[in-house]
Amino acid sequence: MMIDRLRVLGSHVLLIVTAVVCVFPIYWLFATALRRPEDVTSLSPVPWPMSLANYGDAAHKVDIAGLVANTFFVAALSTVGQLLVALLASYAFAMYTFPLQRLLYLAFVGTWLVPFQVTMLPNYILLNRMGLVDSLVGVVFPTLCSALALLLLRQHMSAFPKELVAAAKIDGRSSWSILWTVVVPNLRPALAALTIVLFINAWNEYFWPAVLLRRSNSVLQLGLRSFMGTEGEQWGPMMAVASLACLPVLVLYLLLQRQIVNAFVRSGLK
Amino acid sequence: MFVLEAPQESGTAVPEQVPARRPARRRLLRRAVPYLYLAPALSLLVLWTYRPLAQAFELSTLSWNLLPTSPMRSVGAANYQRLLELPSFSGSIWRTVVLIVGLLPFTVLLPVLIAFASRRVSARARTAYQAFAFAPFLVAPVAAAAVWRWLLHPGSGAVDRVLGTDRNWVYDAKAAPWVIIAITGWHLLGFAMLVVWAGLAGISNDYDEAARVDGAGPRQICRWITLPLLSPTLLFLVLTTVLLSPTLTFPLIDSMTQGGPAQATTNIYYLLWDYAFHSFDAGLSAAAGVLLFVGFGVVAGALVWISEKVAFHDD
Repeated sequence: MMIDRLRVLGSHVLLIVTAVVCVFPIYWLFATALRRPEDVTSLSPVPWPMSLANYGDAAHKVDIAGLVANTFFVAALSTVGQLLVALLASYAFAMYTFPLQRLLYLAFVGTWLVPFQVTMLPNYILLNRMGLVDSLVGVVFPTLCSALALLLLRQHMSAFPKELVAAAKIDGRSSWSILWTVVVPNLRPALAALTIVLFINAWNEYFWPAVLLRRSNSVLQLGLRSFMGTEGEQWGPMMAVASLACLPVLVLYLLLQRQIVNAFVRSGLK
Repeated sequence: MFVLEAPQESGTAVPEQVPARRPARRRLLRRAVPYLYLAPALSLLVLWTYRPLAQAFELSTLSWNLLPTSPMRSVGAANYQRLLELPSFSGSIWRTVVLIVGLLPFTVLLPVLIAFASRRVSARARTAYQAFAFAPFLVAPVAAAAVWRWLLHPGSGAVDRVLGTDRNWVYDAKAAPWVIIAITGWHLLGFAMLVVWAGLAGISNDYDEAARVDGAGPRQICRWITLPLLSPTLLFLVLTTVLLSPTLTFPLIDSMTQGGPAQATTNIYYLLWDYAFHSFDAGLSAAAGVLLFVGFGVVAGALVWISEKVAFHDD
């Protein structure tokens, strides 16, 4: 009995240490952002008295509202686009059998093996020719075909009761109307989880914006980097911008913790 | 693309005014339907993944400085030769291997230990611990870089002041690679933990019970039953580590060290970017990209092969 109890205690200690190590930097980020500018280097665990002065300071140096709006625009457009494209494609894979199906499916799975650093240069050259360098649409465009969304939706659609589809067909509905009136409403939970995963990924995306956008006042992730370059020692405003770059995702996480965890773990990869 | 064109062409080629052909035309149209649903995804896939992949092969044989006005010269395999002779390239490969191997304790070993420990606590406590540990996975990489730079700042950062040192972690060539590994590990730990936990939850209890009836102790059960059944999950985590390390390390390196000090944090992913957008050497960058793609393919193929040959599947 004694040994069992010690084991349980040991497990708790290990888990608590892990949780603290994981959460402390996030806590410190927000704590520093909320300190008064003269207290920024304070080591007191609770930021008191609190102040929003660091946010005001950061707003003087970068256009915070513009950064948030641009980041939201990019993330939302990319999410909606990926969902639509993947919905149509997974419908084809799940509901039809056609020549070359396996090969085409493998072509989508195979994208896992193409590191984005390999396609970066040719894609940059193409976007340059299209005049989309330095534009937010240019950031979104190459992200629109998501293998992850396609694989997940195909999985859900294959598990979808075929009788419902057959019944709708007998009613004389077209495949297009079956997709929107029968399949999509029934996939709502899966679609919601996927939407969140795609949005979080797009919100945190750093690489493409860094390649494509030269203006630092474009998306939050880049605004933050420019802060690190030029205002290296101004930790207060820097943590203020960093906290804004994390806040929407962390609030989503607090609200929808279980769904987000399930969606990420089930999707396996990012 | 070739698949798309065939049905469309035949769809329009059949003349409208021949009534006898009608059923044939409709059948062709019906056959085209799945391809129509696939068309947007497929064209994007070709445009943004497979065309650039082919173009990377082509660029790797050219000498070009990325300026649209300057000429491209064909140089054959010279870029590859130059690449293999560059000490920075072989160094970066070695550092990439160190990075991935250094991440494995965070993405495989610790998550397994923690997942086993979390079997002993109540379900409610477990959910809470896991929720905390997963949070870093959702933090924007560049925000993580910002706060870790602040924590590790020499002199005024929290880490040095708590330890009572004035070590410059990020600008110390010995420490910097480990800083990158530790932060990436911090990012991935909670995610890996949940993957292991999901893998454990998928293992039936029957095996445990049967073994216990046969007189096996908890350690034996773990070594001979649980771990083999978990092996597909563990291989999946190794593959994830390889595939996710470029995504997670690039923002850290770009905003914390710029590959320095003295190239200590320049791994192959960062080197490719450096060749392309700092040295403007398109050919060299593309050649390194091609080698990286081949390397990825070999590693992934090996892992899939191992998982089919060696790993234990519960069918």
